Amino acid sequence: MSGGMNNDYYVALECKDLQANAMSIDSTGTFVLLAGRRCIALRNLDEEYENIIKFPRQSKYDVGAAEWNPTSHNKEICVISSNERLEVLSWRNESLSGTSSLRAHTRVITDINWHRSNPSLLASCSADTFIHLWDIRDARKPTLSLSAVAEASQVRWNRISEYTIATAHEGDIKVWDQRKGTAPIQYIAAHVGKIYGLDWNPNREVQIASSSQDSTVKFFDTSNPRKAEFVLNTNAPVWRARYTPFGNGLVTVVVPQIRRGENNLLLWNIGNKATPMHTFVGHRDVVLEFEWRPGRQNGPNFELITWSKDQTLLVWTIEPFLQKLCGHEPDELIDYEDTSSGAEEKQNLPKIPVLQQEFSLLNVHIINLEVKNMNVNTRTVNVTSKVNNFTVNLQVTFPSSYPHGVPPVFQIMSGSNVNDSVSSQLMHTLKHLAQQRVSKNRTCLEPCLRQMVTTLEQLSSDMDSDRAYERYAEPSNVDHNDAYIPFPRTSGAKFCSVNALVCFGRPSITRRLGNKNESTSTPRALSALEGMLAKRSTDYMTVSAYYFQKQKLKYRTKQSLAKSSKAIVHIYDATNLFLINKQLAEDYILEGDIATICKYNAGAAAVVGRKDLVQAWTLAELVLGERRADEDRLWSSHPCGNKLIVSLIRHYALQSDLQMAAMLCCIYGKEQESSLRRESLKCLMSPMLLGPSKRWLKPTGSPYHTIPPADIVADGWLPFPKNTRSTSLDNLKVLIVPPKPLKTPYVAVYEYYKMAYAETLQRWKLPYKRAEVMKYMSSPLEVHKGVEFKSDCKMCQNPTTFSVCNTCKKFPIHCVICNISVRGLANTCLACGHGGHTAHLNEWFKTRKICPKCGCSCLTETAIIVDYLRWLNSI
Amino acid sequence: MVSIINSVDTGHEDMIHDAEVDYYGLKLATCSSDNSVKVYDIKNGASTLLDELKGHFGPVWQIAWSHPKFGNLLASCSYDRKVIIWKETNRKWGKYYEYSNHDSSVNSVQFAPSELGLILACGSSDGSISILTYTPETNTWDAKKIQNAHAIGCNSVSWAPATTPLFNGNENEQQPLVRRLVSGGCDNLVKIWREDGDRWVEENKLEVHSDWVRDVAWSPSVGLSRHTIASCSQDRRVVIWTSNDCITWNSTILHLFDDVVWNVSWSLNGNILAVSGGDNKITLWSQNTEGVWQCISDVSKGQGHINN
Repeated sequence: MSGGMNNDYYVALECKDLQANAMSIDSTGTFVLLAGRRCIALRNLDEEYENIIKFPRQSKYDVGAAEWNPTSHNKEICVISSNERLEVLSWRNESLSGTSSLRAHTRVITDINWHRSNPSLLASCSADTFIHLWDIRDARKPTLSLSAVAEASQVRWNRISEYTIATAHEGDIKVWDQRKGTAPIQYIAAHVGKIYGLDWNPNREVQIASSSQDSTVKFFDTSNPRKAEFVLNTNAPVWRARYTPFGNGLVTVVVPQIRRGENNLLLWNIGNKATPMHTFVGHRDVVLEFEWRPGRQNGPNFELITWSKDQTLLVWTIEPFLQKLCGHEPDELIDYEDTSSGAEEKQNLPKIPVLQQEFSLLNVHIINLEVKNMNVNTRTVNVTSKVNNFTVNLQVTFPSSYPHGVPPVFQIMSGSNVNDSVSSQLMHTLKHLAQQRVSKNRTCLEPCLRQMVTTLEQLSSDMDSDRAYERYAEPSNVDHNDAYIPFPRTSGAKFCSVNALVCFGRPSITRRLGNKNESTSTPRALSALEGMLAKRSTDYMTVSAYYFQKQKLKYRTKQSLAKSSKAIVHIYDATNLFLINKQLAEDYILEGDIATICKYNAGAAAVVGRKDLVQAWTLAELVLGERRADEDRLWSSHPCGNKLIVSLIRHYALQSDLQMAAMLCCIYGKEQESSLRRESLKCLMSPMLLGPSKRWLKPTGSPYHTIPPADIVADGWLPFPKNTRSTSLDNLKVLIVPPKPLKTPYVAVYEYYKMAYAETLQRWKLPYKRAEVMKYMSSPLEVHKGVEFKSDCKMCQNPTTFSVCNTCKKFPIHCVICNISVRGLANTCLACGHGGHTAHLNEWFKTRKICPKCGCSCLTETAIIVDYLRWLNSI
Repeated sequence: MVSIINSVDTGHEDMIHDAEVDYYGLKLATCSSDNSVKVYDIKNGASTLLDELKGHFGPVWQIAWSHPKFGNLLASCSYDRKVIIWKETNRKWGKYYEYSNHDSSVNSVQFAPSELGLILACGSSDGSISILTYTPETNTWDAKKIQNAHAIGCNSVSWAPATTPLFNGNENEQQPLVRRLVSGGCDNLVKIWREDGDRWVEENKLEVHSDWVRDVAWSPSVGLSRHTIASCSQDRRVVIWTSNDCITWNSTILHLFDDVVWNVSWSLNGNILAVSGGDNKITLWSQNTEGVWQCISDVSKGQGHINN
């Protein structure tokens, strides 16, 4: 740490019971006001003895912010914020009285700020997203309200421009012009973390410093805010960062909530971002507020007043050496002495001594910089700076009238290895800084040299990451590319999800422009914008400006456009355009035998008024429902048999009634599966029909044994002809229990319909219905693991007993209903191995008996196995 | 015929360029010239701002939602040459992946059908198309680039559905998953690309438009029983391309509009096409039983009423 410790402070006030959070010093620097929930206290700093005047306050709210009016005209006025109200207080005749109360905010006020020059103008911002500007002479309502969408945490008037005001919103800064209150003139995405403090540079109109939770202070040029001018990295979130009233300094303090013993204030020189110049140590708790006041003895000294949570008010004197550390050259001191010794003498002073003095005062120990030569006679300085891969030899020549309004001349000499863009940026920065200082008759050598090193550091580190950015920011380069970038869309319509139609467009007022009387249609390339609007302004042209222009020419209703929002999105329900119906999706069933399904679904279709579907379901029932086993072959080839179903499916698919097409596919598939099962059963029953290669039967089986038909009927199968020769019942069981996977003929389009319908059901969040449909997919069934309490991890094949695989840390069980890995409670069928979320399966088996994935009767099967295991245990 | 269910005042400070609702129809995302992307909760007719995504330094042209099985992902592309994939974790949106390997404005992004995995296609004014593929095993994004896909610039990309049956009578075969996409560009062409091994090859070049192609959309085709693509252009025309085998394509001109056409979008089942353009009007089109395309409604913006 280069900063030394300074204990040069005195305690102006120590008051345990004050509990004040807000502090403010009046414009003369005499009175300090401390405000808390219970009372407001005033202390005259010019008086040596600790004399405080307390005024009790009756409020249940704390004081959020307090500020004295900074103008001499209204110097007795002070405003404090209390929840959603502002109280204007007046300090007259040794007494503090409330003059008015300003109410307009609807949520807690986060910050207030007086206008720098207008004595009655006050800005306040609040969590209600509004920024109100008040004329305190009219307390009824704000004179102007800025709507910011996001809640504001800080509000700060520019110290130079009387119209500019900045607000902080989470990590962003908005800059407003009070003459144009509809929208911010600048929008700076400044920090990743929340911004706690804002402060405008007192000397440069366009520079603003923001301090943030992300432990940085960033300095932005509001006229070109794409990127921070520079960044100060501190190690802790920064509560406030404020410019010093002298030199190039900045004081920062950490966020109050972070109580890590960092109760110190840091003083920085903006030119040197590496380390703070000075640390103010003294407070025993976090600093809540700090302000400056001119020093006591009318000298050039300043005093820093700080109020901390430890309930002490400290006054720190800023010695001239500290000011010099902040780049405040003591030339004013010299001037001061000069004038004291006589104005005449000052005029006669030769110019060289100023330069000589500057040279002698120059701190040549700047990191990464070597001063090669300083010559007072030729008035030149040569320095070499080496930063990373850059080497710069710079010559500075001082004209004779320097530093009175004339900057020195900078020149990059041979031996430097920087490219043109770096050197031009460097020169630009140096000239800018030099000009700034000499315009105030200040010397500039040391700040310029320091600035040179920091600029080089910044450029070399950002080199790679900024390459693309620089190109983008360079408008001349973008121009020719813009000719190939399509003209932005300002209206559009998209079908989304199942039945939403999302539309957006330009405000209706611009819509009325018929293109019939337009000679040209909408341009095709983005570059058209610049070409068309170049004459109007040099600002960056946006699409809205284009339509705005177009509109103004014709209607001159500028205000109505400004008022109507540019950005409304309409979402239409396009359900009626489609034949697919959500209520039907919820009502339709696929469980049970075909006739029941068709009847039930026909009823459901009748409820929603789809008579055509009622007919189709009735037809499907007739075709597929009651079918005699012996008629199978004939019926399926009959024109009113399977062919009718196929053409029904095709009809609904062509109508884009995917729902009906998919449902019919499912029913058709179900029917085919059962007829296949019958078929294969028949084959089993009649061994003589089988070819020699398909000998499934055990040779020991008796060919003459007949099964009593009643057994089969009880199993739900249709009776078969009594004369069928069969094997024994025992053999039959052995053969059927491991069922051969039955396959219906694969029709790709049908699979596609079912999948598309399942997708729709998923979008509707009907996972059970989806699972029902997916059951009819002909995709190869997964090979299940059988009876296992351990599940094999799908990823690494290792068995695991937990919901997370020990080996690969993935979730091995996938729910058959929702197709998502199971993290919590899982249930699986012991017979078929299918299962998933307990809740989903409960829901499923409330009304159904069959496995969602295969034909297994999970409940019964599992119960049998569990019984068997119990029995095994008991013996 | 269509009824308004929600109007969301997005509060964007500049023009909106794209708006899309997620898979389940519960969230709305919008993007704008004010460089931001906003996400709204639109469940039950509400419109609550969930988050404002900032990270682009230029107007954001297009956004795309991913399939929810990959999590809540949103892709956005911008004039600043970047593609950002955002991810929602615990109700907070953050950058998930940023791709900045284009040399000019990125005009279009679209996620591939979920069956193919987590894949994003991006079309840029530098003429190339990038295909970003996520590999869950290594948690990395792999980028493949089709250089010079369109001379001057690519304006739009759209994926073919993952499982398209061949409509040429060979119905009983299960088709392998094919990665195909269609793109439109400033060379007035519509091109069809297929992934062949580890490269993307140009499968077809469709030439009818006489000016820049602004948008292309591959239909889900369920109801049309063949592959269908819609394309729209600066030449004020919308063209419907159909094919049975993805090899020979036939074109039909849907309509000649009053102004340039910017947008074509198919409904989920592919039977209705929404068209919008420079005249700020939206029209819906569908095929009648004779296979002729008809305008079925006119959604006028701002008022939300329907003619016809």
